Amino acid sequence: MPGKRSPARLIVALSVAAVLAVFLIYTSLAGGTPSLQPSQLRGHDGRVSLVGIVAGRPAGDAHAGGLRFQLRDRHAMTSVPVVYKGTVPDLFKTGREVVVDGKLRNGVFVAVPDTLVTKCPSKYTPKK
Amino acid sequence: MADLGRAALVTAFLLLAYASVAGTAAAWHRRRRLAESAQNALLAAFGATAVATVVLLVALGRHDFSFSYVADHTSRELPLGYTLTAFWGGQEGSLLLWLFVLCAYSVLAVLTARRAGRETLAWVVPTLGFVGTFFAFMLTFVASPFASQVAPADGAGLNPSLQNPYMAIHPPMLYLGYVGLTVPFAFAMGALLARRTDERWIVATRRWTLAAWAFLGVGQLLGAHWAYVEIGWGGYYAWDPVENAALMPWLAATAFLHSVMIQEKRGMLKVWNVLLVVLAFCLSLFGTFLTRSGIIQSIHSFTQSSIGPWFLGFICLVTAASLTLVFLRLPLLRAQTRLESLVSREATFLYNNLLLVALALTILWGVVYPLLSEAVTGEASTVSKPYYNFFLHTFGLPLLLLMGIGPLVAWRRASLRALGRTFLWPLGAAVAGGIALLLAGAGSSRVGVIAYTFSIFVLASIALEFARGTSARRALGGVGWAGAFSSLIARNRRRYGGYVVHAAVVLLAIGIAGSSAYQTVREQRLHPGDEMTVAGNRLVFRGFQTTNESNHRAIRANVDVYHGGEYLGRYRPGKNQYFAEDQVSNEVSIRHDLLTGGDLFLIADQVNGDGSVDLKALQKPLVNLIWLAGLVFIGGSLITLWPDAREERRLAERYEGATVRA
Repeated sequence: MPGKRSPARLIVALSVAAVLAVFLIYTSLAGGTPSLQPSQLRGHDGRVSLVGIVAGRPAGDAHAGGLRFQLRDRHAMTSVPVVYKGTVPDLFKTGREVVVDGKLRNGVFVAVPDTLVTKCPSKYTPKK
Repeated sequence: MADLGRAALVTAFLLLAYASVAGTAAAWHRRRRLAESAQNALLAAFGATAVATVVLLVALGRHDFSFSYVADHTSRELPLGYTLTAFWGGQEGSLLLWLFVLCAYSVLAVLTARRAGRETLAWVVPTLGFVGTFFAFMLTFVASPFASQVAPADGAGLNPSLQNPYMAIHPPMLYLGYVGLTVPFAFAMGALLARRTDERWIVATRRWTLAAWAFLGVGQLLGAHWAYVEIGWGGYYAWDPVENAALMPWLAATAFLHSVMIQEKRGMLKVWNVLLVVLAFCLSLFGTFLTRSGIIQSIHSFTQSSIGPWFLGFICLVTAASLTLVFLRLPLLRAQTRLESLVSREATFLYNNLLLVALALTILWGVVYPLLSEAVTGEASTVSKPYYNFFLHTFGLPLLLLMGIGPLVAWRRASLRALGRTFLWPLGAAVAGGIALLLAGAGSSRVGVIAYTFSIFVLASIALEFARGTSARRALGGVGWAGAFSSLIARNRRRYGGYVVHAAVVLLAIGIAGSSAYQTVREQRLHPGDEMTVAGNRLVFRGFQTTNESNHRAIRANVDVYHGGEYLGRYRPGKNQYFAEDQVSNEVSIRHDLLTGGDLFLIADQVNGDGSVDLKALQKPLVNLIWLAGLVFIGGSLITLWPDAREERRLAERYEGATVRA
């Protein structure tokens, strides 16, 4: 068995880990996007990630003027109009839960192009 | 039928519970008969689980919709192959697959890994039993695949994106990997509990770790390829929590595979190795939990389910118990030697470990960040691609470089002069290659150029290793170059198999850098007769064509592709409309260019009522190297896994004597 471990090594290792941890927290705080439901949007004017259920009938053209639809809270009726351009996922339709990035502008959520994703249900409730 | 399945699961649960309780008592009091009975219970549990598995398969095959699971995941029109693979299409079936694989692994591990020593094995049985008990408990009481109902006329069908040949192979591969990490974990715990803290448990489980790690790696590449050809957004990895779930344990296992070599050769890093194996196992549990609980926002998110809290509790329990055990055994885990120099083979392994673990932990941080930020600030916040890419570059590029340096540095202490000599060629090749790349215009992406230069360095250093080894063996006399080369690999399977895997990782890095840093994307609305260009390819839209298949309607956009005046063929991106599932799925069309390794990727993004199409075209250079890397990876893993009679004898000499004495 070689001699006693010097505490210096442990201190160096711990401080490297600490620096990494602080750096991680910093980058995620700076680079993180708030993930909100429609009812929480008020007061956020920066880029957010909006999670909601598609309500009403989507209208418009995602590759021309923009696709327009309403997103509502998962368990409430608060909703916000969304305008979106870009690829529309296969599973997108009324009643589906979707996530889309963007900013609130004059009461309309203007989505960043190509950020719309649907949450894919692995399970289907049988059609009754 | 459902009763038989339920009974089989209850039996499995009781047997596994018995194996863990009786096994613990036997190991504690050193009762041999009791230990054998616990072991037999573990073996019998495999039989019971197999019965449950067969019952579910038969129910699927017979379209027995009185099984809720069958009705929820299949329909009458679903082809037989997909009907059977729907086994792991949902939560309950996936858990059953977990348990089945675990039991099968347990039987094989307990029967073949005698080398670990009897005391260790006596503790391995209850550890495996304990993990199995948890899953059997979930299947029996929380999420039963055998819930029954009044049979509806037809089932709800399988998610169209799961109706793909990859469904047959990708999930099982991942599960073989996830579950396989249980075996080294159980042996590590067994060794600690039995106070056998030498490297015997490592030797006994080396192949298990390698196999699990290889399955996990192949499974992820298959998943990436599936996403690439089926989901149809032109990518193969999106840093989605469920994808990260498989990447994290793979990174931890990669670190473990490297650091165990140091313990075998130098008797160092014992605590670290045990911690890594615990980390890998916990991450694999966490991965299963992530995939199945829907706790974190993911494109794969499955409906909120009841299994989340149970899983979380189990993960906490496993983590706390194993860390406590490691802490209690710390005095036994002292290193026999110390690191002699910061420039040595073992030091490069150490750096590689730190980088891999740092990468795994930063990914973990990103995955759980939404939960943590919600707990702290009351508002969930997510990190996305830029965060992950940043850390992939920060930790991944040095890792790539280390793969080139490691093999060139001697064990214990490397002299600078020897280093200069060995580095000359690889370094020269890398510098020349880097300059050539800059001249060729690759400078548009700094990360890309760095990745490519490092890749050249690693490939050169691997080639040098093979060349040196071959010429040394040839110098022994009597064989030609080919004979020397093959005997070199045959006699050092681990080492040269490892180099082949390194070459696979380099191919992967080249493919990823090429297809992300240097890709071209064009998007345009085309009416019949219109055309667009992408990276020198001329795409002409010739109108739609619609056909009716058994369970869906297929709409295809006919696109003629020309390059320089040459007609390259007709490609048909489009969409399928599934009747039973009432869903649309994107069907992409890909033109592989085998000569350059690049793909022309066509997506019919939107089919418009006026007969026009919004066509998205991506030119992705070198992307096929990623899939080639998968094949090389399998080859390298097989070389290292292949039984080696010479090594077996050597190990037998080293350990069997000790076992007899013990």
